[in-house]
Amino acid sequence: MNAPIRIGVLRLADSAPVIMAHRQGLFARHGLETEIVVSPSWANIADGLAWKKLDAAVIFCPLAMMTALGRRGHDAFLRPLTTISRGGNTIMLRGVNPVETIWHAGSHGRRAFDVWRSSIGRRPRIAVVHIYSTHLLILRRFLKMIDVDMESDIELVVMPPVDMIHALSEKKIDGGCVGPPWGAEAERLGVAFRVGGSSTVFPDHVEKIMVTSGGLSCSEEQAQAMTLALQEAITFCQTPHYQQDVTAALAAPLPAGGLALPAEATRSVLPGGSEQEAINFVAGALQKHDIEWIINDMVALGWLENSEQQTLMRWSASNTMASAPFIPL
Amino acid sequence: MGDGRPALVVLVADANPRRGSALSETLRGDSSLRVLTVPAEMALIDAVQLHAPDVVLVDMARADRDALDSIRALSQPAQERPIALFVDEDDAALMETAFDTGICSYNVVETPPRDVKPLLRAAIALYSRFRRTREELSEAQRILAERKLIDQAKRCFMKNEKTSETQAHRWLQRRAMQTSRRIAAVAEEYLAAQKKDDLS
Repeated sequence: MNAPIRIGVLRLADSAPVIMAHRQGLFARHGLETEIVVSPSWANIADGLAWKKLDAAVIFCPLAMMTALGRRGHDAFLRPLTTISRGGNTIMLRGVNPVETIWHAGSHGRRAFDVWRSSIGRRPRIAVVHIYSTHLLILRRFLKMIDVDMESDIELVVMPPVDMIHALSEKKIDGGCVGPPWGAEAERLGVAFRVGGSSTVFPDHVEKIMVTSGGLSCSEEQAQAMTLALQEAITFCQTPHYQQDVTAALAAPLPAGGLALPAEATRSVLPGGSEQEAINFVAGALQKHDIEWIINDMVALGWLENSEQQTLMRWSASNTMASAPFIPL
Repeated sequence: MGDGRPALVVLVADANPRRGSALSETLRGDSSLRVLTVPAEMALIDAVQLHAPDVVLVDMARADRDALDSIRALSQPAQERPIALFVDEDDAALMETAFDTGICSYNVVETPPRDVKPLLRAAIALYSRFRRTREELSEAQRILAERKLIDQAKRCFMKNEKTSETQAHRWLQRRAMQTSRRIAAVAEEYLAAQKKDDLS
């Protein structure tokens, strides 16, 4: 294979390991020629994987699963290679926080929600980045924790994270659940306050994973090389000592191989940063407990059939023998 | 509308306004279509909810395409005619060309492929033409920039070595051949070296 391996990422701080592996030549050292494709939308990532425009991507589990099941038109042979990151999502709202802390489970949170809602004066419009996102599952669980029903008590909207900041300041939306560094950036700009997030809803939940598609999924040798390169990059990104290097790489402009992320907010969400919802970069196979809750929540939302649920459980390493070859869906 | 069917409402959602209006113009040539565009400041999902189109031609460079994926999953009662990504599994070549070109189509779920495919093909043709023009333009710009660089290097060489333009050109040419590089690269290197000398 002479064509470079095309890896899709979005402009998010948890894309860091792929950016660093590419920039620092870790992929090349493992014999892989790579090309980073910065995608404007999650739909582009999913369609890229399904229609042979991407060989791999950094993605969240729900969308990867729906894509593998053929929701983009035809089945895509996706293989989860390694986890990339855990946690990092922020739930933020505009206006004034009536309790000056994050919102705790039960009546404390419910009361805060009611006071805040009446100050907003409408059924709150809360945004997520994609319908099949971890963000939606985390938001739904958060609302459930404070006894608020996602279906009836709020209006759910979907928009890109960068647009959310603008929409919050224009009062077009009232809140959002968003990935790093956009929650920290919204707070820094003073357009929203944080009420919860990954750490309060499901500490250390798996957030981004690396999946391969098509031919790359079938090549054991390349999959292994890519896993090793990513492991090294993930260790690098997880080391607080390199926080500045990673920040500089992510803040670099797109033509220079960066993601043009806001530097200050990005630094604060990287390991060693000051943010409560900082990212944890962790490599490793998906475990049963990583995907069980995701699949259960997806079933509860009516996205999956029972048979599909069984199929998807095969994504966890603990469900197959370690030495057994990967079974395509 | 000769066959008495109501006009098919097509929404063009292009991030490039010039290309978007060119595509709209092309489609308006077909009287069985009612062609609308998404204004620059409007979110795609809002335009879809406002116009309830049968077909939406979406520029894949748009970041707000993700909202269209949510329409069915959220099953919002406001959206009476859910739309979904158009995929013709029997025509993988067309689908791959479309994704390659950077255009896709979302349609009211029951729309038959025979209504969608001509629109998608027209969009692909137009996008390809725009891309070719852009590539030609950037190629022309590159050639112009190189020519400027070579002229500058020649002038510099003529001044330094007190030679004619022909001699300067020959020197650059020879050096390019000796080092198997392009003349523009040699010119750039020569100018950089001069700059360094001027500084020291």
